[in-house]
Formats: sequence, C-alpha cells, structure tokens
Amino acid sequence: MTGTLNLVGFGLAAIGPGIATGLIFAAYINGVARQPEARSVLQPIAFLGFALAEALALFGLVLAFVL
Amino acid sequence: MRVLLRSGEGFVPPSSNDFELPPIFGDNAYTTKPILLVFLSVILISVFFIISSRKAAVVPSKLQFAGESIYSFVRNDLAKDVIGHDFLRFVPYLFTLFTFILVNNLFGIIPLLQFPSMSRVSFPYVLAMTIYIVFHYVGIRKQGALKYFKEIMFMPGVPKAAYILITPLEILTFFVVRPLTLALRLFANMFAGHLLLLVFILGGDHLLQGVIGLKLISPFAFGIGIALTFFEFMVQCLQAYIFTLLAALYIAGALADEH
Amino acid sequence: MAKREESAMWSIFGYLLSGLLFWGGIGFGLDKWLNTSYFTLIGLLVGISGAIYLVWLRFGRE
Repeated sequence: MTGTLNLVGFGLAAIGPGIATGLIFAAYINGVARQPEARSVLQPIAFLGFALAEALALFGLVLAFVL
Repeated sequence: MRVLLRSGEGFVPPSSNDFELPPIFGDNAYTTKPILLVFLSVILISVFFIISSRKAAVVPSKLQFAGESIYSFVRNDLAKDVIGHDFLRFVPYLFTLFTFILVNNLFGIIPLLQFPSMSRVSFPYVLAMTIYIVFHYVGIRKQGALKYFKEIMFMPGVPKAAYILITPLEILTFFVVRPLTLALRLFANMFAGHLLLLVFILGGDHLLQGVIGLKLISPFAFGIGIALTFFEFMVQCLQAYIFTLLAALYIAGALADEH
Repeated sequence: MAKREESAMWSIFGYLLSGLLFWGGIGFGLDKWLNTSYFTLIGLLVGISGAIYLVWLRFGRE
C-alpha cells in the first residue's frame, strides 16, 4: 500500500474542527430552543464561530496538499 | 465473483478501481453499469409517476398517495418555502432533480443493482452544470446582466480598499466553488459510502476464508456492513434532499433583489 | 427556517475554500516564479483572513 502521511495528518487534524463545529451548533440549537427570540442575536455569533473552526480544517486540508 | 478471484492472492482492499466497471454488452463503452442504471432510473421514475397519476381520484389509492406525497414534499417544503412567490415554474425542475438523484442514490443499496450511479463524478457535474445555467439565467433575466454581476462582485458598505481582497473571492465562490462543491458533495458521499460497504462486505467475506479465529470475527464485519447499509439509506436520502435544497436556495438567491 | 442556516453554512465553507485557493494559489505561483518558499504561507494567511472578513461582512454584522 502506498500513500502520503500528510493525509493521515490531515485526518487527525480534522477531528478538532469537527468537534468544534458540533459544539458550536449544539450551543446554538440549545440557545434557540430555550429562547427563540434570541435567534437573530445568536446567529452571527454561531456563524462566525463556525467560520473560524472551519478555517482551521480547510487550512489543514490545503497544507496537506501543499507541504 | 470478484472475491473468488482474490481468495488465492490475499486481500486486496477496495479502491477507486472498483468503480471502473467494464462495458456489459461487448465493447460498447456506452453500456457500462452506471449508464444503464441511469437509463433504468429514468424509466422507473417515469413509469411510477405516470401510473400513480393516471387514475387520479379524490380519494387517492396507495400508489397515488405515495406519488403525491413526494410531489407535495418537493413543492411545499423545498420550492415554496425557499423560493417564495413565483416558485411554481421551478417545481418541475426541482422535482426532476430530487427524484432523479434519489433513485440513482438508492441504487447503491438495492440488492443486485448495488451501485450508486452518482458515485461516478460526471453525473453530479452535469447536474450541477444545469443548476449553474438555471440560476445565472434566472438572475440575469430578473435583474439585468450589469446589475446582477455588480451585485455579486461589489457588496455595499465596504471600504474601497477591501474590494481588492474580497472581490476575487466573491467571483471565485459564485462561479467556480459553488457548483463544484455542489457536485463534489454528492459524488464524495456516494463514493465514500459505496467504498465503506465494499470494505466491510468484501472484508467479511475474506475473513470467512481464513483460519477458525478469523471465521469467528467475520459475522461482526457482516453485521457492521448491514448496519452501514441502513446508514447509507439515510445518507442517500439526505444527499438528494440537500442537493435539491441548495439548488432551490441558489435560484432564490438569484431571484432576490438584495442579498 | 433551518434552511437558511444550511445555506449559510455551505456558503461560508465556499468563501473559506475560495479564499485559500485564490490567494494561496497566487502565493504558490510567486514561489514557483521567484524560487522562494514563504509566499505560499503568506498567501494562505491573506486568503483565510480575507475570507473570514467576508464572512463577517455577510453574516456577522447585524
């Protein structure tokens, strides 16, 4: 079997952002379920958190190919 | 069949070669399994909806009820909710998209067929291309070419210098990344799901031919394979839904006056 | 209503990806051209910050 270790590294690195995204949206759903009128306040925060977590995952993906 | 061939030479893990199927009828390259499955899906969908809607009655039969509930799901849940008024002219397109993808995905777990034709990347590409044409056409018709492109490229309320940073990203997202990810998401899900099933079923079969200790493990591999088949069913329905939902959302975005 | 979140999530993903691809690609090209090795990293950082800025503009400011 042949392959590059970079992709194994990326697989490991993707665990973190995966968990982070899960936590962010769990908190968001919790908040909206408790207080539906807070949705418009929570939405930008959730999306920004998601963007930051997702940025790390994509950064890892690109670096796995570039390095 | 393939497994018998392999039993002498050790386990060959399934790879992307398992998706390169030979032509079924002679040397004609247009009769590979995925292509025939696509034709089969077209026939199945047409026959099903013609039969279910032919004898339409006020008190629906079971078949009519099934057909109508799929239709009303796409019409009300996807088109009406997302696109808003003027949704009716997109319903045929979205409905075709949804049923076509759904049936082709489900071929992945139907016994004897067992190949999701959407795991060949060209089919999702073509579907994404039709969406690409539709939503740009709709947007240009609605707002005029100049305004449409201007709205994509320059969002209001941003300092001038930031446009250098942002405008290329907007263009790339709108014209390349969006349709590409739309196609690749469907493709990758079907590809990975089929590969996963192959690993567990072929692996279980291979374990069955080992020594007694390995034979005892193989039922677990088959059990996980069966559990994953049900999981795949869920994924296949979900992917068809998401593909159609995103198509509807892109059309809605092109129709909307402001973002 | 959850459909809006779904679409927003995928467009955030698209923005981040295209930011990395565009500016990272420019950095990569500069590296190949000038025989250096740091422009790729600079390009990637510029791309990711631009994309996050764009996400903030689109979804963050209310």
